[in-house]
Amino acid sequence: MIDYRARFRINLAIALCGLAVFAIVPFVANSGLVFLAGLVAINIVFGLCWNFLFSGAGLLSFGHAMFFAAGAYGMAVVSLRMPELPFFLGLAFGSACGALIAMIFGYIALRRASGVYFAVLTLAFSELIHIYITKTTFLGRNDGLVGIPRPTIDLGPWVLDLTSATSYYYFIIVAMTIAAFALWCFQNSPAGRLIQAIRQDPLRTAFLGAGIRGWQLTAFVVSGTIAAFCGAVMVPFTQIASPEIAVWTVSTQPILFTLLGGAGHFWGPAVGAILFGAIAYGTRAMQGLSDITVSVLLLTVVLLIPGGLLGLWQRRRRKAGGRQPGQAGDDARPGTAAGKVEARQ
Amino acid sequence: MYDVGMTVFNGLAWAMATFLVAAGLTLIFGILHILNFAHGGFFMIGAYVSYTVMIALGGALPLWLYLIGAMVAGVVVGLLGWAVDMLVFRRLRDVDDAYSLIATYALLLLCGGVVQLIWGLNYLGVMPPPVLNSVIFLGDMFMPTYTIFIILCGVLVYVGLELFIAKSQTGRLIRVVAADPWMAQLLGLNVKRIYLFTVILSFALAGLAGGLLMPNQSLSPELGGIFLLQAFGVIILGGMGSIRGAFLAAIVLGLIESFGVYFFPQYPGIFFLLALAIILLIKPEGIMGREQTA
Repeated sequence: MIDYRARFRINLAIALCGLAVFAIVPFVANSGLVFLAGLVAINIVFGLCWNFLFSGAGLLSFGHAMFFAAGAYGMAVVSLRMPELPFFLGLAFGSACGALIAMIFGYIALRRASGVYFAVLTLAFSELIHIYITKTTFLGRNDGLVGIPRPTIDLGPWVLDLTSATSYYYFIIVAMTIAAFALWCFQNSPAGRLIQAIRQDPLRTAFLGAGIRGWQLTAFVVSGTIAAFCGAVMVPFTQIASPEIAVWTVSTQPILFTLLGGAGHFWGPAVGAILFGAIAYGTRAMQGLSDITVSVLLLTVVLLIPGGLLGLWQRRRRKAGGRQPGQAGDDARPGTAAGKVEARQ
Repeated sequence: MYDVGMTVFNGLAWAMATFLVAAGLTLIFGILHILNFAHGGFFMIGAYVSYTVMIALGGALPLWLYLIGAMVAGVVVGLLGWAVDMLVFRRLRDVDDAYSLIATYALLLLCGGVVQLIWGLNYLGVMPPPVLNSVIFLGDMFMPTYTIFIILCGVLVYVGLELFIAKSQTGRLIRVVAADPWMAQLLGLNVKRIYLFTVILSFALAGLAGGLLMPNQSLSPELGGIFLLQAFGVIILGGMGSIRGAFLAAIVLGLIESFGVYFFPQYPGIFFLLALAIILLIKPEGIMGREQTA
């Protein structure tokens, strides 16, 4: 038996520790670094929701940029064209845009396609959204929508003023912590575990009476909604929604985070996103160097340590400290060489 | 009449340019079953190499020097393919599909980084050779000679590949390995060497395509992605691994795209994607069905 209560507490602790670390950043770093940290916090959840789809449901998406962009543009449209609406309605609208797109395209793509076909279909859909944005005047075409205001939130007795970058930064990290932990809860809920069962053996799970495609679509929509939420939260921070966030290279960002950090672990993408942010910051002076560093790292991970950094760390720990039953191995999922080894133990 | 002729002509131009890129891509997929994201990256490196050759020789060149530039690009990228097979593809045999897809994406990223490091972020470009820089009038249709040249190149590459795979000794061996690598190994064929040869051939085609298509583009590190998406669509629709399928799919998608743009000029690039999605829904295995590498 897996003790889900203990796991719940451990993962809540991890999420809160992450929140605490990010909360310290504005005290020790300059505003440029705080800006970067805010983006990294958003990227963490972006990566987590992609990995939920990849490791949880076994669907490889190359089109997550479309959700991110849908959320961002949904938020931007609400705050620029309908400024009288409250901020949270903008967030909800942005997330709903992502959910809607995920529902439509997911329904189409899952009907026939699987594996590599699914990946390329999502890529094609995402590119459709990108082209649509660059050609639509309402969405600002190639220039994007600029000058998106940061909100002041009226909570009855208190008024939250988020107009400065630092105060909005705190809103981001709290929102992202909640989103990340909510995703963890969903992945470990009965529904989430059923989705993982489908990933491991679709046929047997179907025999148990589960509707495979319906659950896969659910996973796709959940992942898309959270990605859209990330986009919606980001827009007031950067104050611009440009078509660049819909380009397919954005779709590959969460893939990089996940693989670098370790796909077999829920928090793997978080490690990857932080590492990725650090690499981008460290190599910012030299054009091309960050791409080269990231790609060489990624190749090394895929070819030599398929479990990613967290997988490497866990294997080390297991070798050094003996087995820790119900702790180390049960996060691993098959599909990678390391996952296969761990699944057998 | 004029409009239809021009639209078909534009569609064919799109189709053959895309086919030049897709040919190598479908070859690797047919034999190694790897969907090679890096293909776009090596196509781009081919374009940059041939650009460098042409600048070194002094800019506006006669046709044969331009062709030599493209050949050099093909050879250089083919050699890179040799290295890539040794270092990467060989290790991807036993890896999950998703992971090998991601590994080739890492290679694409590497190509982009290297290009930025060597050639910088600026847009570069050269004129096509003077012979190809004119226009032929046919009735009231005007056809740039460069576009005609690209269409010819596409057809030539297609015919050459078909003949090579169907008739030559090596081509037959490639088909054997594609059909059943395990049995081929039992029969004493050096499967590894055939894989290596396929990869080199595919990369050389990418480099050659880069060299040939270069004068029409402004060179930038994003070049890899643009053609890659189109080529992906073409080989998926063509039924992964089929050269004939890719050729037909390129023409179908090219015509749909150019007619779409003719009727809705404000949305270029969208019709090929729409058509791809719709056709795949109706016929998910592509227009050539299950046939592989023929």
